[in-house]
Amino acid sequence: MRFVLYLLMMIVVALGVGFGLSYYALTDGRLFGVAQVGPWHAWPDVGANAPNPYTRGHLARTAAFELGQSEGLQFTATTDSDGQPLTRDCAYRIDGRTPLATFWTLVALDEAGINIAAPDVAPAMRSSAIARTDDGSIVINVGTRLLPLNWLELTGEGPFKLVLTLYDTAAFSGFSSDASMPVIIRGSCA
Amino acid sequence: MTRFLLWLLGGVVLGGIIHIVVILTLPALAEQSLWSRVADIEADNRMVILPRVVAGEPNPLGLDPALAYGLCRVDLANGPAYVSGVLPEGFWSVALFNPSGIVTYSTTNRDGIGKTLELGIFNAAQTRLLAQQQLDIAEGLLVVESASDELLILVRLAPPHQVMRTRFEQELSEVECGTRN
Repeated sequence: MRFVLYLLMMIVVALGVGFGLSYYALTDGRLFGVAQVGPWHAWPDVGANAPNPYTRGHLARTAAFELGQSEGLQFTATTDSDGQPLTRDCAYRIDGRTPLATFWTLVALDEAGINIAAPDVAPAMRSSAIARTDDGSIVINVGTRLLPLNWLELTGEGPFKLVLTLYDTAAFSGFSSDASMPVIIRGSCA
Repeated sequence: MTRFLLWLLGGVVLGGIIHIVVILTLPALAEQSLWSRVADIEADNRMVILPRVVAGEPNPLGLDPALAYGLCRVDLANGPAYVSGVLPEGFWSVALFNPSGIVTYSTTNRDGIGKTLELGIFNAAQTRLLAQQQLDIAEGLLVVESASDELLILVRLAPPHQVMRTRFEQELSEVECGTRN
């Protein structure tokens, strides 16, 4: 009797660890090849010609045109800098500096990867088309309700994610400079 | 108690093995791949402009709405491939995708190539032949060796402003792409 119970427990633990760890590795993946800078995360070797097995799994899950290593790097944020999930009930401020790049674009996507910019505005915000502060840093307001300065206007409701794509960032090779990615600060909520 | 811990340890080790098997087999088990998603696009030996990303519409290929994309599919079994054309002033980059959807080569126009895009793609045997013939390679031509015969060539072109997009897409579609016998 005891043998059967132990066997069942072993099987449950094995399945839980095996599939749970795999799911974690390919979604959050912080311990497995995902680089984290503040709320932003990226798969640094997604554009390498010999990616590690975890990145291969990620590539198989997205099945999208990823950026090659010399073309740039894509960062995704699903939470603000305090770790709260991004939701369209709230307004957010993206504030700070980005790593050196020829240019970057910022888009907001829902959980299915569909662009959620308001219908009449450009679906992406481009680094060359925003007003900057005197010291060259960026301030972008993101939300569904009217916001001042650079406003990435969203539509709909529910959770969302922000994708910052840096083009031609060969200079950005080490992930030591935490301060170089902008922070995401939650503002007022509905 | 010791026996319980041993069984637990056994479960964890077995879980680790399951995890490794899952991660390694996942790419082969995926129902949709990059290649199956672009299979309907008639991009064989020609540069096709991918449809623009519109807000509210699905974007399975993960394209950036600010960029114009040109896609060309080649098979090096038919001969070495070339990509040749002049692109407008602006950032552009090229990436080669193998059948697993992995970027095997990529470059941008910041690497001193400027506006002209001249790419010659050869597999291992063709590269050897090229070396044996000791041809003079024209200046500005990038020679790329590819491990796989089937390749997707993706050119990303960034119009500085959206009003220039139509012209940029037109110039991108005039880029020649294909294989030479």
